[in-house]
Amino acid sequence: MQSEARSPYTPIPMHVLHAYYESTDRSLKTLELSFDHAADSQAFFQVFNPGQFCLLSVAGKGESALGVASAAWEGDFVRFTAQNVGSVTSALHALKAGDALGMRGPMGNGFPLDDWKSKNLVIIGGGCAFSTLYALTKHVHHEDHRGDYGKLTLVYGTRTSGLCMYKHDIAAWHEDEDMEIHQAIDVPEDNWLHHVGYVPDVVRQVAPSPVNAVAVVCGPPIMTKFTLPALVDLGFSPENIFTSLEKRMKCGIGKCGRCNLGPKYICKDGPVFSLAELNALPADL
Amino acid sequence: MPDLNAIKAEAKRLLAEGVVEVVVAFKPGDTPLHPQPAFFTNVDEVENLVYDGLCQNNLATFLTRLPKTKKVGMLVRGCENRSVNALVVEKQKSRENLYLVGIPCEGIIDWRKIVERAGEAVLAVNENNYVVEIETRDEHFTFSKNELLHDSCLRCVHPTPLSADILIGEALPEGNLAIARKAVEEFEAQTIEDKYAWFQKEAERCIRCYACREACPMCYCTECFVDHIEPRWTESGATPAGMQGWHIVRAFHQTARCTDCGACERACPMDIKMTYLTEKLNHDMINKYNFEAGLDTQTLPPFATVTLDDKNRFMA
Amino acid sequence: MNLILEKQALPGLLQSWREQYDVYVPQKMERFSHFMPLTEESVLVTGEPHNTRIPPKALFLPMTETLVKFTRFGGYEDAQQNVQPRVVFGIRPCDAQAIQLLDTSFIQEGYTDPLWLERREKTITIGLGCHQPCHNGFCTTVGYGPFNKSDLDALLTDLGDTYLVETLSEAGEACFQDLSPASDDIYEHALEIQQIAHDQMPVAFETENLKEKLEQNFNSKFWEEVSQSCLGCGVCTFLCPTCFCFDIVDETQRKQRVRNWDTCMFRTYSLEASGHNPRPSRVERTRQRLSHKFVYWLDQVNQIGCTGCGRCVRYCPVGIDIRAMLRQAQTLPFEVSHAV
Repeated sequence: MQSEARSPYTPIPMHVLHAYYESTDRSLKTLELSFDHAADSQAFFQVFNPGQFCLLSVAGKGESALGVASAAWEGDFVRFTAQNVGSVTSALHALKAGDALGMRGPMGNGFPLDDWKSKNLVIIGGGCAFSTLYALTKHVHHEDHRGDYGKLTLVYGTRTSGLCMYKHDIAAWHEDEDMEIHQAIDVPEDNWLHHVGYVPDVVRQVAPSPVNAVAVVCGPPIMTKFTLPALVDLGFSPENIFTSLEKRMKCGIGKCGRCNLGPKYICKDGPVFSLAELNALPADL
Repeated sequence: MPDLNAIKAEAKRLLAEGVVEVVVAFKPGDTPLHPQPAFFTNVDEVENLVYDGLCQNNLATFLTRLPKTKKVGMLVRGCENRSVNALVVEKQKSRENLYLVGIPCEGIIDWRKIVERAGEAVLAVNENNYVVEIETRDEHFTFSKNELLHDSCLRCVHPTPLSADILIGEALPEGNLAIARKAVEEFEAQTIEDKYAWFQKEAERCIRCYACREACPMCYCTECFVDHIEPRWTESGATPAGMQGWHIVRAFHQTARCTDCGACERACPMDIKMTYLTEKLNHDMINKYNFEAGLDTQTLPPFATVTLDDKNRFMA
Repeated sequence: MNLILEKQALPGLLQSWREQYDVYVPQKMERFSHFMPLTEESVLVTGEPHNTRIPPKALFLPMTETLVKFTRFGGYEDAQQNVQPRVVFGIRPCDAQAIQLLDTSFIQEGYTDPLWLERREKTITIGLGCHQPCHNGFCTTVGYGPFNKSDLDALLTDLGDTYLVETLSEAGEACFQDLSPASDDIYEHALEIQQIAHDQMPVAFETENLKEKLEQNFNSKFWEEVSQSCLGCGVCTFLCPTCFCFDIVDETQRKQRVRNWDTCMFRTYSLEASGHNPRPSRVERTRQRLSHKFVYWLDQVNQIGCTGCGRCVRYCPVGIDIRAMLRQAQTLPFEVSHAV
């Protein structure tokens, strides 16, 4: 959605509230941003929905699309976790508390939370793509919303334990009776108490029930590719399997053409699609 | 014009005997003005092979797009042969994996010169003995071939392939370097202001489509300097700085590598003249280093050579 | 309203519009024509049997334009554009149709491009029909035509010494308010000329079931065959009146974020930071270009996204011809799709 006052290409002025490394190898950094102007904050939270993303902007470097990793109830800030892969993300990594930057968003459709009400949720994430699922889990798990949904199951895999994000909450969720959480790493490590293996295999092993349930998968393409059929095998219908897609993006509003998947633009019509929707689109990912 | 049947026969033989896996040549386009580069992999397809003055591409540009080890047969004219040689010098292809079918070249027709004179509704073009007959929707035209030749071809020095494996037709006499130099000398004779005005006028029509780059056999970098992000070498857009930056650096990257085939100019959708820049550099290389690109498959271009007796230190 | 305009009165009329508007008309540049601002010295090119080399989309989506300016202390502000009210005269129906197609992308509820919108709102488009249709165009094949009126404020038909002016909006009417009405006979005559031109255009390829064939043969060898000689340059897309893709780049020295025309035919277009490229070769890129025009536009707005202007046919450096490609696509196998 665009505001009346500002061009949709002009970033909202923000500044860094907190900046900290999320992984032990310092490849992932979390930025919590707050709004320079209250009106921008209001406009943002009026429409924000977990599963949406923003374009973070560093003047002179460019913009980078990142999923929102915070829930609205957490407060008047927006959280992102950036992997240091390119020139923009490396500039984002260089930011510290108090620094100014720009943000455009929220963009995209987000998760269809209304359609999921009263259903059991199976949330499956891998690597740093877990960020929007973290926002989703935080949202659903909050006491104001928890009653709207059924059983909550979380599967989260990372290559190593050091790459696990949001460790504080994850640790708390392990203790939480209200939630079933399965954490996995790719290769064995000393003192690791949870699963070892790839996410698709863990999903098959955990075998969440498809009855009155939706599954949502966000991860690296290779994980998603093998997890979707695992869910189909477990009896989830394509209409009840959701994933969030990524492609190179520039404008974020369905104009620049880059992120199309057939007639759909991932930035505007996505990034969240059901497997049923994806099956009807060309395999151009 | 060389005997088309002889070309076809040789292409068929190469494929039938397994000398090569693919023959790169031309096939008819949808209109007579635009024959299309084509890749023949079996004998039957070769019936479709064509060759005439309107075959405007330098086929050597496809060489770096085919797997390095693939055995390739290629139709080459004088300039194409030199481009192939230059690519072999730069280790982009080994000569053993190549079979060059040489065609002494009467010059490439600039289809825009036809459209200028006869309109675009061209139904047929026939060449015979340096005379071009053109049939359009409403009229018949006769031109001397020279009148229609691309500017690069008018100053061609080596029309006959220098190192083809077979030559189809009789070798043609070498061109005159003095004539070839005329355009460069005229450009050099201008004042610095006039030169810049000329350059500006040409460069600033650029739409940054990079057809010149893609049509050029020597532009094979995986990442072109204009696509490089950090650092960024030139402005990205169709701004004067961006367009001029592209044209200057493009030309300099061709120093002692360009064979003046003119494929860049023929590919340009904006009719930008650009060979005057590369030709200037070519003649500088001849004058200062006695070097022409692609005359053989061994000699490195002067700027790619470092020897202990270099007068200046390469880097401080 | 149908009016009559003496050809010799045209230059004076165009000049009179300059009092109120910036006037753009096709003028000669090198060996082609180009939309440029009208000055007192301008020489019009209206007799050319075909289009300007660069489509008039460039008047609405410039090759390069500033989107955002960087302020001191890491802030941002909207780029201001200074668009005066303007008249674009001599736009061909294929190109006007293309502007209408582009509107469907740039002007959408909640997702409107303000720079495009401003230019559109401030522009009057006056078309010049093609009484001598160009040789490589195929507007009728894709459902449009040499006297298509879509998105024009007025359309002119060349009648020899005069033009028939059909005004199609109030703004168009205002431009030609001093002209006398055309008689019914003249109008009938003009319609005849329009019909003859329309009938002269051959069918370049069949469009029936074309969408289904392209869709169902997404993984066909066909794409490899038609893209084999593609150089991977941007000629076909940059000169295309309906191609609109752009890149957004920070020009650090100028302290601006700009957008530049970009194309799905470039390798870097879809290349991701991770190194992954969903369209790694010319095969996938050619498929994207054709599918966008002949599949995705239809899915989105039920219109073919090609107006048959013929520029890609004329200027492809390797003679790749979209008409031939689509004729070949018509030979592909397909199954009749049943409504779901």
